[in-house]
Amino acid sequence: MIVDILISAFLVISGIFGLVGSVGLIKLPHPMMRLHAPTKATTLGVGGALIASLLYFYFVAGRFSYHELMITLFLFLTAPITGNFIAKVHIHRHETRDSLPSTGSERPWATFESDEDRIRAEGHEL
Amino acid sequence: MDILLPVIAALPFLGALLPGLMIRAGRATCASYTALSSGLAFLLLLICAPTVMQGEVLHFRLDWLPALGLNVTFMLDGLGLLFAGLIIGIGLLIILYARYYLSHDDPMGQFYTYLLLFQGAMVGIVLSDNILLLLVFWELTSLSSFLLIGYWTHLPEGRQGARMALTVTGLGGLAMIAGMLILGNIAGSYDISVILTQGEAIRDSEMYVPALLLILLGAFTKSAQFPFHFWLPHAMAAPTPVSAYLHSATMVKAGLFLMARLWPVLSGTPEWFYIVATTGLVTMIIGAVIALFKDDLKALLAFSTVSHLGLITMLLGFGTKMAAVAAVFHIINHATFKAALFMTAGIIDHEAHSRDIKRLGGLRRLMPVTFVIATVASLSMAGIPLLNGFLSKEMMLEEAVHTVWMGSYYMMPALATLGALFSVAYSFRYIVHVFLGPVRDDYPGHPHDPGFGMWAAPALLVVAVVAIGVAPFLAEPLVRTTAHAVIGGELPEFHLKIWHGVTPALFLSGTAVIGGAVLLAAHAPLMRGWLAAPRPEAKVMFDATARGATRLSGWLSDSMHNGSLTRFAAIFTITVVAAGLWAWGGAGIGAPERTMLPIRALPAVGWLVLIVSTGCLIAFHRNRLLALVLLAGVGLSVSMAFVYLSAPDLALTQISVEVVTIILLLLALNFLPKTTPIESSTMRRLRDAALAIVGGVAVSALTYAILIRDFAFDSISAFHLANSYKGGGGHNVVNVILVDFRGFDTYGEITVLGIAALVIFALTDTVLRGPGGRWLVRWGAGTDEAGDRHPLMMVVATRVMMPIALLVGVYIFLRGHNEPGGGFIAGLVVAIALLMQYMASGFAWAEARQRTPYHALIAAGVLIASLTGVGAWLAGRPFLTSDYGYITLPPLEKFEWATAMGFDLGVFLTVVGAVMLALNSLSSMARRRGETINIYPMDINPERPDSPPPPPTGPGGEKET
Repeated sequence: MIVDILISAFLVISGIFGLVGSVGLIKLPHPMMRLHAPTKATTLGVGGALIASLLYFYFVAGRFSYHELMITLFLFLTAPITGNFIAKVHIHRHETRDSLPSTGSERPWATFESDEDRIRAEGHEL
Repeated sequence: MDILLPVIAALPFLGALLPGLMIRAGRATCASYTALSSGLAFLLLLICAPTVMQGEVLHFRLDWLPALGLNVTFMLDGLGLLFAGLIIGIGLLIILYARYYLSHDDPMGQFYTYLLLFQGAMVGIVLSDNILLLLVFWELTSLSSFLLIGYWTHLPEGRQGARMALTVTGLGGLAMIAGMLILGNIAGSYDISVILTQGEAIRDSEMYVPALLLILLGAFTKSAQFPFHFWLPHAMAAPTPVSAYLHSATMVKAGLFLMARLWPVLSGTPEWFYIVATTGLVTMIIGAVIALFKDDLKALLAFSTVSHLGLITMLLGFGTKMAAVAAVFHIINHATFKAALFMTAGIIDHEAHSRDIKRLGGLRRLMPVTFVIATVASLSMAGIPLLNGFLSKEMMLEEAVHTVWMGSYYMMPALATLGALFSVAYSFRYIVHVFLGPVRDDYPGHPHDPGFGMWAAPALLVVAVVAIGVAPFLAEPLVRTTAHAVIGGELPEFHLKIWHGVTPALFLSGTAVIGGAVLLAAHAPLMRGWLAAPRPEAKVMFDATARGATRLSGWLSDSMHNGSLTRFAAIFTITVVAAGLWAWGGAGIGAPERTMLPIRALPAVGWLVLIVSTGCLIAFHRNRLLALVLLAGVGLSVSMAFVYLSAPDLALTQISVEVVTIILLLLALNFLPKTTPIESSTMRRLRDAALAIVGGVAVSALTYAILIRDFAFDSISAFHLANSYKGGGGHNVVNVILVDFRGFDTYGEITVLGIAALVIFALTDTVLRGPGGRWLVRWGAGTDEAGDRHPLMMVVATRVMMPIALLVGVYIFLRGHNEPGGGFIAGLVVAIALLMQYMASGFAWAEARQRTPYHALIAAGVLIASLTGVGAWLAGRPFLTSDYGYITLPPLEKFEWATAMGFDLGVFLTVVGAVMLALNSLSSMARRRGETINIYPMDINPERPDSPPPPPTGPGGEKET
């Protein structure tokens, strides 16, 4: 009974976060903001469903399922990289070196630093 | 002794390797070594001769492709013995003659190589006991004679003559292939010895006439029978030894040989008589008439050859046994006197520097030896008593007298005598206009007799001419044996002798001689008339036809094959749809046998994704990156469909292939424009759209029609399921099919894959060295590229993934035989693991860490697969038979091994090598474009201080993260 409630709760939470993520993807005004929406959906939305599945297999089906852990691992590996790349693309298409906030050091944002600049800053030879 | 047959056939081919090597040791050495191989073959033939002369037939058999009926079977009977003897014997004389004929500027090694190749092909024809093998040799003679005729490549006439000969004989050869196949089909065997026993069945078959026509087409073109006679005179542009060889004893006799060989089977019907005898008669007369009016010595001899070939063809066409005997006898006689005549023509050309009869005359005193040889040979050709030509011509006239043609008793003898009359005229002309008459003082050269080496060969032939003429009984055993082989049954009662008493043939012969002499006396006015009369010029007609055919095929292929992919696709689509419609309209299809299944939600969603992705792909295909993303969507939907339909192997393969292709294409996009420009007009695109819709609808309709019906035949899956473990030792039927049931397919596929990868590598390499490479440099790196091309997060993640991915690859490989997986998928997975490193850390950085060259991986893969296949031979089983068993290694459970694993390893290595080599090609393009080589795996590394820099640890120092 308690298990059923728990599983249901996780499923509902995952559903809510999935919905919020999807709505955000449509509604948020700026690409960099929109980047946040699917991140939430993947972490908590899919995460909730995975926990629910884990509980279900352990308590109801009576065996421990590793698959969910693997899925979690791969999600955590891929989501940030995807986000990183989308952000980079956005910066290149819509921002310039000067329109971005300062990095607080002499050097610019990494994605705007040319090979020559980097060599000069770090002082090594190619 | 049977074993000698293939050796005789092979000796000239093996000998053909020698002249090219030996020419460095001098011309005499070269000629001697050429003669050595021919002489050896002749010797072996002589060893066989006594047995054959006693009436035995030698057979040799070696199965080559028994399933096709194509076997290396040789047979030596009387006919083969005669022809092989002529080919090799006269070949030896030609080798001697050519040694002195060819000038120092002519590449002699090449000449002898071609000559021996030709000799080998001819010997092959006459020894073959299999018509398919015979066809192989037949085509070889066409090819090698092409090389010989065009030997003087600097002469346009030589090249054109060679081309004409090849075209005409080659076309005839094509027709003959069809005819031979029909013949073999009727007889039920392609072995000549079997076909010869099936005469009745073949003549009664309704396919007899088509087979006869096609075979005769081949024989007539080869033997220069009217109306295909025109190539032979043009082939005279060849050096005289070639003419003497090809046109007296060998090439043109191949057609006669074939008619003689198949004589017992094909002859004896009205069709045979009227086609062959009439063609022979017409050829004999036309050839003789034209020969009389040719001023070029070799042209005269060429047309006289045409005429004599017609004579022999006519005799074979008569279909009577005695005529066949006469044909055989005339083949021998013609070979001797005609080879001698060609050689004398060559001598005259060589010494007087002209072959034009109008510029010659009076050579009797200047070249006495040549005069004697040429006169004897010419008189024999004219049919003067005490020379061998007389005997066979007499027999021919005798046969003509007994032949009824179209209900007329007089037609045949009259026309045959007319032919003989012209033959006498041109033979006399060869003597009178060249050698007799006053000595002139305006010869282009200084005519004198050549050295012994050059006249020895024709002299020897002339000795044979006289010997047979005076003592015909000398040739009788050979004629009997040969005629026996041709007729294939009882010989008619005959004796070769000079005096047959006062017969009609003697009268006709006398008429011909007197008429011929009269004709020659009236030659000058006749010649004027001939030159004034309009004559069809064969070369002009041939050239016009060839030009027309070239233009037609050029138009056809250019309009279909203009390099436009859309056009190929359009032609293909239209053809396939039309063929489908035709098939559907023909038999129609039966009523549907299956009911529709309900549509479930999950497949419906998958279908929708597929359709939407495809639709979007059409809409956005000009944006290449977007098109690629949509393509990936289609691919993933298809893999999902495989999962849903319980095909895990296919799904795994599809996903990994999808990933590899998309990554490679993404990398390739770097070197392409970002969008596809619009290149075709609206109308054209509308047309293409209509075609695409028609094609799509047709395929859908076909699929639908198949899906709602049961299979017409039992599927083979039951066999695979039943035998997968029993025969292949694996529970995964898909994998067992790949590595065992259809292992040979897979073997071919990995080879093709390896070749494709190597081709990509070679192409890239070539492109980079050429204008493409310069263009890449000019184009330069993209202006809008990220500064940190190798971001930290990505690099770290791929590092973490690398061992996991490799382990997955190994796991998939090992379980492959019994569970979903296998070498192909494992190869792709490992390739993806490596691809990730290239993508994240940069081409150069990853390449510096790659220790095995990918070429070697491909080679190792194919080699391992081959060795696994060959291993089965050691166990006495066919190639690629697999075996399996069980092994217990202490720390592990008992596990199964299968030889298929070795094969799968080969597949694995080839796939990895091929994918990585393709990537390597892309990387070298990037390098050429000026992409810098990164030393560090990632551009920004928090561990690296801003300054001062740590000394780079070199290519091995990647463990700095």
